[in-house]
Parts: sequence; structure tokens; C-alpha cells
Amino acid sequence: MVDATLAAIAQPAQTDPDAAHRARRQPLARRRYALEIRQHMGWRQQALILAAALLAGLAISAAILVAAGVPANELANEFVMQTFFDGQNFRAVLFQAAPMILVGLAGSLAFRARFWNLGLEGQMIWGAIGATAVSMWQIGPEPLRLPLMFAAAIGCGLLWVLGPAWLKIRLGVNEIISTLMLNYMAANFLLHLVYGGWKDPKDNFPYSPQFRVFERLPELGAGVSSAIVLAAVVALFAWWLVGVSRAGLYLRFVDANPRVAHANGVPVRRTIYGAVLLSGAMAGLAGLAVAAGQEGRLTQAFYQGYGFSGILIAFLARNNPLAATVVALLVAALFVTGRSLQVFYQVPFSMVQLIQAIIVVCVAASDFFIRHRLRRVGGEALQ
Amino acid sequence: MSGGIVLNWLASTPDFAVPYALAALGLIISERAGVLSLGAEGLMLVGALAGIGAQIAMGQPAVSLVLAMLAASAVSLLFAAMVIWLRVNQVIAGLALVFFCQGLTALVGSLAEWTNHATEGIGAMGLWPLSLLPGAGRLFEQNAMVWLTPPIFLAVAWFFSRTSAGLRLRAVGENPQAADAAGIRVSMWRLAAVLAGSALVGLAGAYISVVSTKLWIAGMTGGRGWIAVGLVIFARWSPWKALAGALLFGCIEALIPQLAAAGVQLPQYFVMMTPYAVTLGVMVWVALSRRGADEEPGALGQPYVREERR
Repeated sequence: MVDATLAAIAQPAQTDPDAAHRARRQPLARRRYALEIRQHMGWRQQALILAAALLAGLAISAAILVAAGVPANELANEFVMQTFFDGQNFRAVLFQAAPMILVGLAGSLAFRARFWNLGLEGQMIWGAIGATAVSMWQIGPEPLRLPLMFAAAIGCGLLWVLGPAWLKIRLGVNEIISTLMLNYMAANFLLHLVYGGWKDPKDNFPYSPQFRVFERLPELGAGVSSAIVLAAVVALFAWWLVGVSRAGLYLRFVDANPRVAHANGVPVRRTIYGAVLLSGAMAGLAGLAVAAGQEGRLTQAFYQGYGFSGILIAFLARNNPLAATVVALLVAALFVTGRSLQVFYQVPFSMVQLIQAIIVVCVAASDFFIRHRLRRVGGEALQ
Repeated sequence: MSGGIVLNWLASTPDFAVPYALAALGLIISERAGVLSLGAEGLMLVGALAGIGAQIAMGQPAVSLVLAMLAASAVSLLFAAMVIWLRVNQVIAGLALVFFCQGLTALVGSLAEWTNHATEGIGAMGLWPLSLLPGAGRLFEQNAMVWLTPPIFLAVAWFFSRTSAGLRLRAVGENPQAADAAGIRVSMWRLAAVLAGSALVGLAGAYISVVSTKLWIAGMTGGRGWIAVGLVIFARWSPWKALAGALLFGCIEALIPQLAAAGVQLPQYFVMMTPYAVTLGVMVWVALSRRGADEEPGALGQPYVREERR
């Protein structure tokens, strides 16, 4: 058995026709299979498996939606036609996509450095807090206000991930726990602000006062916010960074094998720091995109769901920035659809998270078929 | 602080400590077998929701807790299938499980209209004769689950250190190749460990909803599952240290309402941050003390593939 499998791994192309013939004559119960590691697989086959996984995930999700009370014949209409071929809805998708793309990029950058940055939501919160602080305290003259808000959002997001990055690199503290704990702390600090000193004095609701017109991301006309342009620019920058620049090459080294990279003179620590801090900065920008691009103020629960979606986008896009942009658009469409399902069919919004999780599970499981193959082994070969 | 407040604080500590203790114990069981179980937060939610659902349907707390354990185990089968057979990266699978459970429980809870539906809970049981002590007697007026927790720990610790099955389970987590060569079925032991561990994590969640708060709110575990993951690292995979750590966390969490009751003016949301900040501090302390690395199960987080050359 061992020898047979090892031989098969060593020479995957050779199959013994006799063995196959013998195997075919075996009764079903006595057929034996060997699991083998595939060395590599053509991209067409990979794409097929991925597509099958996505379809399976969507089919399960559709079944759950039908069970939750959405008429089956409305599903396709609701998901595809309404979302992409209705101008107003498509604008809503773009509107939703800007922060989505930014968190997806943030996730993929950190994961490229083998750093599980699950603190995207915390960094988003701090980015929004930084931008809001600039608006609240009226720092800088009018034309400089928005650039300063950008700087504050980037700086705060970056600082919030600096701690976990340092703890991981210097002390080996598990970054999953540290970034998550910082999420909960950031969320509580946000509540402290909006229920406390930053409460809107106009109506005493728990959100900050409205940003002034020049503190908001301008509209480009046709109802499209400039936030999506910002996201596209950041996506191009990320693509250049990981695909073209020297830093991206270093990142690939570090991702493949940190120790070998270090032995070859790659500045491993600096590369990891760079990727993780940039990830925090992008998440901070996502916070700004929501606060100054969508809500026009700091609200108490604006970040919910983004952390998970960022991880999901990075995972599905295999940490590729351009793919992440496309996946983020689809996730944004899912969000928009989820909201309309909530309105029309009283389907709770948590459905959106469930669907995302199901798709992740299906795609993660499908990876198995990309990396392994089942081969039938002849009966006599086993004795 | 007066004596009455200290007594109140100590008397309310176990109620906060039990979820941490049970969740950490469940995680220790699966991690000792080499499966990194990051899904605790999600499984706790499943346990919490299933417990309340059964409680609303039947009103038998004991039955509700058992059903919650079964529900969490059933959901963890998905995770087990991913990491044991499909060899999915255990971090990805654990995260996917958390998100899946968060979505699922929020959805089921709102569709079944179990949200904010108050239930009976279980009453206190005095530990005779200690509960008759003047003053300090209140410390021994706890609910049945509190009294059940130490025996559960005793059973698990005994299982690990005194039974051959426990030795096998640890061998699977320490060196699966060697265990496999010795004829131990690695996949089966890992599956059993995940299922048993998840049942305890589910019980921890059900304790929060059925016994402590007596109602279901979406996302009510509030990161306790993640804190338990940190607690396991702090306890270095040892049940007794995990129990001590859980008591410490319970003390800290129990202090929050006591301070408010004593009229200590603290910013509320900063007080709410303390469990998370303490977890972070504990993780740093473990890293600084530079111990514990040798306690970690050798094959933690690595899928085992027979005949695969690494």
C-alpha cells in the first residue's frame, strides 16, 4: 500500500492499465481508493472546481432563503436583475463597495505576510474616529480639512494595528486573539464617544454631529460618490505594490518561507511590519469611507460585518488585490440585496453573514479537490 | 469597600467564571488532540441559542443544557469534517465556523422569535452545611451548574492523566505519526475530541443564556469564546490552571456590576473593556514569561496526513 502510493506520487502520470482493469472487476464493497497529493493542477480545472464550489454554496444559500420565506421564483430576479441591471440599485452597490474593497485589500495585504489581521473592524473604527476628531475640533482650514481627515484616518488605523504587529513579531503573541480583543475595546471606546462627549447636541442621538459639506467625500455626479474612486486608486496601488514593486517580491518570499527569506537577505521583519501597518491604514480608510462617504457622521454600529467580509474577500481572492476588488463588488451586491430582502420579505440581515460563511466553507472544502486526487487502487496491489 | 460588597462580589464570581471554565475545558480537550479550535465563540452561540430554544419549548433546564451540548457537537461536525478529512487550514475553518454560527444563530433566533424571551432559569442550591454559615453562607448558595463544574474538571483531568484513552488522545495531539504507527486511529480520536470539546463549549454558551441571563440576544457571548481561547494559552493546556484562570476572569467580570452598585463613578464603556484588556495583558505576560511553548501540543493546528512527506 505504502509503496504503491509512494510510487504513484513519484510518477503520477503512469497508470497501470492492468491494475485499472482488475479494479473494475472488484465488487463495489472491496474497491479501495488511495488519496494522493496532486503536485499541481491546470488553472482551468482549478477554475472549474472553484465555480462548482461557489455554485454549491449559492444553491445551499438559495435553499435557506426559500426556507426563510423568500419566494423561489423571486430569487434570481432579486439577486441578479435588481442588483446589477437597475441603475439605482447598482449605484447602491457601488456606494456599498468602497469600504468593502478597502477592507478586502486590507485583509489580503496582511494575510500575504502571514499575519491574521482579524482587527479590521477595530482599525476601521479608529480610522473613523480619527477623521471625526479632525471634523469635531475643526483642525486646519477648509480646503485642507479633508486631506487632514485622510491623514488622521490612516494614522489611527495604522496605530491600532501597530500593537498586535509588535507583539507578534517581538514576543510571538498570537495575533488572532490580540487583534480581536482590540476590536472589542475599540467598539466600546466608540460607544463611549457617541454616548458621551461626541453626542450630537442637536437631537441628543448617539452619533456625532453632521460633518460639514467640505468634510465629506464629494459626489462625482450621477449619484456616484468619490469613495469608489478612492477605493479604486488604493486597489491599483495595492496591485502595484504586491505585483510590481520590490516590496511585493519580498512579501512573496516571506509568505513562502520566512526563514529562507531571512537567510537570503530579505528584510523579513520590515516587510511584515510594512504589510501589516498598510493593512491597518487601509482599514482606517475604510472607516473614513463609511463616515465621510456614506453616513456623514460617526455612528455607533457602522463597522458591523465589515471585518468578516474583509477576511472573506481576501480568502476568496487568494489575497490578490485586483481579484479582491471584484469579489468586494459581489459582496457589496450581497449586502444591498440583503437589505432589500429585509425590507420586502422580513429576512433578517444576519442571513447575509450566513450566506458568506456558507460560501467560505464550500470554497475552503473545494480546495481539497485541487490539492488531492482519489485514485482507485487494484485489489491485488493491496495484499 | 465594605464587607457586604466584598461578599456580594465573591458570591457572584462563580456565575461569571463558569462559562469561561467550561469553554476553556472544551477547548483544551480538542487542542490536546491537536485540533486548534478557534470556533469557540460560534459554538457558544449555538449552545446559547439551542439552550434557550429548548427552554422555551419545554422548560426543563437540565434537558435544555443537554440539548445545547448536542447542538454544539452537531454543528462542530462541520468543522471536524473540514479540518480532519478535507485538511482545510484550521484557522480558516475555525473562523468560518464562528461566522457561520453567528449568522445562523442570529437568523434562527429572530425567525423563531426567541429574542428577548425571558425564561425561568434554575434556582440556587445551598451547599449544606457550609451555606448555613452566618454571613459567608451566601458564598455557598450557587446554582447546580456551579457545583457541577469542579467534578467535570476532575473527570477531564483524571481522564488525561490517569487513563490510557487520555494518553492516546494526547499522543495524537503530540505526535500523530508516532500515534498512527502505534495503531491509534488519529482521525477518529481527533473527531471524538472535537465533538466532546464542542459539547462543553456549547454547555458554556447554554449556561450564559439559560442559567445566567435567562434570555437570548443575538451575539450575546460578546467575545467570551475568544477570551477562552486566550485562557487556554494562559493555562498552558492544563485543566486546573484553566479553572484558576476562569475564576480570575470571573472575579474581574463580577467586579463590574459591584462597582456600579457601590456608586463608584467609572466611565461605563471603559469598564466594559476590562475583560478584553486583561486577556491581552495575560497573553503578553505568557509571552514574556517565555514558558508554555513546551506545553503546547506538538502537532497543534497541523492536519495529519498519513504518508505525506513534510
